Amino acid sequence: MSEVYEVPDGYYYTKDHEWIIAKGSYYLVGITDYAAKMLNDIVYVNLPEQGAVLSSGQVFGQVESVKTVSDVYMPVTGKILKINSMLTQTPELVTNASYTDGWMLEIESNSFSEESTRLLNAKAYSDYISNLKSHE
Amino acid sequence: MPKHSHLYNYHKEHGKITEFSGFDMPLWYTSIIDEHMAVRNSAGLFDVSHMGRVSIIGKGASDFLSHLLPTNSSKIRDGRAFYSVMCNENGGIIDDVITNKSSESDYSMVINAGNREKDIAWLKRVAQDYEVSVEDYSDSSALIALQGPLACELLQDIADSKLSELKRFSFIQSLVDGERCQISRTGYTGEDGFEITLYDTPLNQPERALKVWTKILALGSGKGVLPCGLGARDSLRLEAGMCLYGQDIDEKTTPIEASLESIVNLDERKFIGRPVIEEQIKNGAARKRIAFSMRDAGIPRHGFDILFSGKVAGVVTSGTFSPVMKKGIGMAYVPSPISSLGQILTVKIRESERNSEVVPVPFYDTTKYGYKRAKT
Repeated sequence: MSEVYEVPDGYYYTKDHEWIIAKGSYYLVGITDYAAKMLNDIVYVNLPEQGAVLSSGQVFGQVESVKTVSDVYMPVTGKILKINSMLTQTPELVTNASYTDGWMLEIESNSFSEESTRLLNAKAYSDYISNLKSHE
Repeated sequence: MPKHSHLYNYHKEHGKITEFSGFDMPLWYTSIIDEHMAVRNSAGLFDVSHMGRVSIIGKGASDFLSHLLPTNSSKIRDGRAFYSVMCNENGGIIDDVITNKSSESDYSMVINAGNREKDIAWLKRVAQDYEVSVEDYSDSSALIALQGPLACELLQDIADSKLSELKRFSFIQSLVDGERCQISRTGYTGEDGFEITLYDTPLNQPERALKVWTKILALGSGKGVLPCGLGARDSLRLEAGMCLYGQDIDEKTTPIEASLESIVNLDERKFIGRPVIEEQIKNGAARKRIAFSMRDAGIPRHGFDILFSGKVAGVVTSGTFSPVMKKGIGMAYVPSPISSLGQILTVKIRESERNSEVVPVPFYDTTKYGYKRAKT
């Protein structure tokens, strides 16, 4: 089955399929359209406590679908300012609006620039997932 | 190299492929939840050709099955199908099977895909002492299942027999879309439905299977009918309270431990595994399979611990998110004393301890869902 995945410009991506976007004084974090489609039927999203400080690459929560549970990882080191409480009632937002209303974390981070070397831009992430697909 | 069923090209083009029991099968086509609810609300179509199909024919067929199965096949009427298990000498379940009885000398059996080799070897070995011939016709036939409240009216359009007269767990020979088939009113979802065997359909000539498959989907389009993958197959059978071999039952589980007492007829027959089964019926089994529904958030999964009084007491064998109940549901084995309906059990879901309750099956309200639902 062939599939086109949404990979918007202006976002940065990790190889574990999280995205991060700068919003002035804070950043938003979520998971990509590719990840949501791989998981299919997301039913629970477990997110960390407000105020938690987590390092780049550290597990910040789980996304649970009918068939599996997947850990989700911090794209950069930061402090959790807010979590998206809408996802408790409507986890489908992660699938239907992965880059907008399906956001998971609002974080503040001082290390974005140093740590952004491990992040991919839209083109690099698109290439990355095309390669994954061709090995399926 | 994973095997492919007759409908593999369709699955590859429309579905997300996964490997199951040595076969490349569709896990879903669109969404597990959408496919699941299509079966509960209208109808869903499943390719189950990967399952094995065996004929058991001869003068000694009934005596053979009488020894092979804890269920007394002589009590079953011609034209009826029944659910049973094949046990080993220790009462452990080799496979759970559906047997169709055409007559005292003519039966067929549907076996799990993952157990095909094991089952055929076992059947042939036990058959040596009987005047019976066991033949595997899996590769020259296809099997598709149409399940849901609309299944009967949909299939009637292309079946040349009166399906409204076919009782649940009965089967007939019929033409379907002009093709020679067997229609059995059985299924693995808890809903009304049919399992259609297409004869004379070898793996290397699958066109007939694809024709009937696409015809049924065309008849059902606009009525909410969807092709369904293994993901929905699993969540549906679990909601209906049915076991999955390899998860809920295996060679270390007896039918009594598995809470399948109803399939055991303890009459004068010396069926394989009788001593252990008889002892457990008399004295009770130490552990029992139960169904539980989550009271807290979280989805139970195979292998998760069941805790009681702070200690590990049992294990989850199946778990999923129930689209109808909108919560986690599962099956587990727990010690008999804590296996009663209403018992509160703690499920260890990763780092958290969450509460659940032992409930009857099916999990759903049978007046609203399932083959016994109130007719509107």
